[in-house]
Amino acid sequence: MMRAFWLILIFAVGGAIKIPAEQNLARQSQARAALSLGEKFREGALLASLSGLRALAANVLYIEAHVAWEQTQWARMLLLFRQVTALQPGVVLFWDTAAWHMAWNASAAALNDSREPRVALRVRRQREFIEIGRQFLVRGIELNPNQPQLHEALARLYRDKLHDHTGASDSFARAAALPGAAAYDERFSAYELSYCEGMEADAYERLRQLYQRGERERLPTLLARIHALEEKLGVPNADRVIR
Amino acid sequence: MSEIAVRTANLTKIYRTDFRRKPRVAVRDLNLEIRAGEIFGLLGPNGSGKSTTLKMILNLAFPTRGTVEIFGKTSSAAASRAGVGFLPENAYFYKFLTGEETLFFHGKLGGLRGAQLRDRVRELIELVGLNDARSARLSTYSKGMLQRIGLAQSLVHRPRLVVLDEPTASVDPAGSRDICNLIARLKANGTTVLLSSHLLTQVEEICDRIAILDRGELVRAGTVAEITESRRRTELVIENAPDALLAQLQAQIQNSTATLVTKRPARTSLEEVFLAATNRPVDERK
Amino acid sequence: MRRISAIASTTFTELIRLKLFYAVCAIGLLLIGGSVFFARFSFQEEFQILKDISLGTITIFSSLLAIIATANLIPRDVEDRTAYAILAKAVPRKDYIIGKLLGAIGLIALSVLMMSALFFAILALRENAVLNALQQSPASSPQDMAATIATIHHAASWQLVAPATLMIFLRSAVIAALTLFVSTFATSNAFTIVVMMMVYLVAQLEPIAREYWLQARTAGVAARSFLALVAIAFPDLQALDFGDAVASGIVLAAPLILKAAMLALFYVVLYALLSIASFSGREL
Repeated sequence: MMRAFWLILIFAVGGAIKIPAEQNLARQSQARAALSLGEKFREGALLASLSGLRALAANVLYIEAHVAWEQTQWARMLLLFRQVTALQPGVVLFWDTAAWHMAWNASAAALNDSREPRVALRVRRQREFIEIGRQFLVRGIELNPNQPQLHEALARLYRDKLHDHTGASDSFARAAALPGAAAYDERFSAYELSYCEGMEADAYERLRQLYQRGERERLPTLLARIHALEEKLGVPNADRVIR
Repeated sequence: MSEIAVRTANLTKIYRTDFRRKPRVAVRDLNLEIRAGEIFGLLGPNGSGKSTTLKMILNLAFPTRGTVEIFGKTSSAAASRAGVGFLPENAYFYKFLTGEETLFFHGKLGGLRGAQLRDRVRELIELVGLNDARSARLSTYSKGMLQRIGLAQSLVHRPRLVVLDEPTASVDPAGSRDICNLIARLKANGTTVLLSSHLLTQVEEICDRIAILDRGELVRAGTVAEITESRRRTELVIENAPDALLAQLQAQIQNSTATLVTKRPARTSLEEVFLAATNRPVDERK
Repeated sequence: MRRISAIASTTFTELIRLKLFYAVCAIGLLLIGGSVFFARFSFQEEFQILKDISLGTITIFSSLLAIIATANLIPRDVEDRTAYAILAKAVPRKDYIIGKLLGAIGLIALSVLMMSALFFAILALRENAVLNALQQSPASSPQDMAATIATIHHAASWQLVAPATLMIFLRSAVIAALTLFVSTFATSNAFTIVVMMMVYLVAQLEPIAREYWLQARTAGVAARSFLALVAIAFPDLQALDFGDAVASGIVLAAPLILKAAMLALFYVVLYALLSIASFSGREL
């Protein structure tokens, strides 16, 4: 009887100490903490059956997704990437690759699908795939907000696939603000802004600031964009950077 | 009055096996006093509660009722066992250790260290005659050798009380004689020995006092002489008696109020008392 | 203290001399060594996969070792009656339990150390190979070159991975303590191992149970009691797992590791206390 009493007492006291400590720790591990309960449960159920082989499983699935791409099985590839990213939400590479395959490869394949004669439907499929790619990046960013690589990938998707210069400029700017961002992120953000209707003045100001940082920033595109804006805004000759 | 090594008071153990079956009484109201320096034998057929009693004395099993004291300290405290050595029945010990390593391990548990421990281990290996097998793993030992290393293990820290559960079980006759000699030597050194056995002739030889248990109850206790002696019986041991004299004696007894109980060449043995007390043959097993 | 160390070192010797240890370590080392071959994917992915596979292998095998090696420690002692001879001396049961646990943890430390050493050696070898390949085909500018080299150094740095292997060791120590606790009331070795396999799975789900319970979602009394039971009794093994984070190149903050290590030590102490309470009340 004493034995049961002691066991229950230790369990109770131990539980009271451990639960707050676990909650505290869980909030600190970035990506895993941000998963919604539903996602966690899906991951958890999968995880339980794999019991610790998560990383290994994710890599095997990743390789399978790669094979699916080579065989142009888009639906299968999508499913595999969903599993890969659910298993390892903290791996930026997986989000990035998943989005790229969907928005670039799968969408292009849909547009050129010879089995579908109706162009409108092919375009719709293409847009759906691009949207799926975009969602991968948006979710990946939610879970890994401090990874410039994902913001940059989203910016490229807005720029090259959706021709959304505002979105691209915003995403490049967010990437540029993060530690470890590439040097060109800030320039690209300004370039994209320069194409946005009504934002010319802001864009011109940012490009000018970049120009004034010195030779390293004065790349041909920068100069060309400044010149275009000076023309468009009708900047007086005396005030112009490019004369 | 000499010091008491082990004292049990109303020691009782009731096992509750499961919900349906009746609780089984293993030991009931056992009162024992084992004096320091004596060899005390606990006798009884298998299942009589010997092992349970020894386990309760060593705090391996917990009494349902009653208390145990070892040299005046309650046995539930680990400190009470500082001067206690135990040889369990059919112990195997760690097969992966050598004989010497086993003794080192148990010596450390007994609180020995350094040169003292090394000397003691060498001495004991010598004592139990395992010199040739000292660096062999126990997995290669015979039963007799295991029993000897087990005995050495129980003695390594020079305990004041040694508890031996069936020390000569499954040991050949020569080995069992060696163990008896060793126990006698322990007594000579002032060590108290508590042993359990079902081999009566042996117990008779070496024990100062004995207790006989049957179905968990103490049926007899005392010195071997005390309990083999019957108060209203007289034993005549006659040497070289002619048949005529024996016939004459027998006739005279018949004419008196006395009864002749037995007529045979040997004296009354402990075995006989044992049988009378427990109503069971000695070698009844399980 | 001396008694604990005697029991711990003897337990360690026992476990080392069992063939099981060599079998588990050999397979683990083989898998880590083999990871080089299935990691040949692409430049950036190589280190990611190498680290994932190696850390996964170390996790699995040290956990397995923790369960299998610890499960039988006490039952075997009791069955062989060695425990009787030990506990009949002035050895408190708590010393016996602590000694057994430390011996098992020592074995886990050795196996994690061996597997990590091989893993770090492979990382260093692959880093050299990749850097050599880079020298053969240099990048466009010296700046780019320096950046690439820095990326490779970061990806192949064993110092960044080491905290995760330390946590794997602590996580396995928790599993060992938990196994020891289960074995104090188990009736057979197989029972302990089966129970521990289930406990291991449930412990992976503990964070989910905990959150569902704390968020007080709509659920019946029975379901909520079950969730509470899981949250209170089971350790959060996921919280101690940093393999994924480290493999994807995240630099672990020292305070985070420290907190996780403290939590792991707390678990070990908790389950050791439970083992002691359970074993002290047990009749042999």
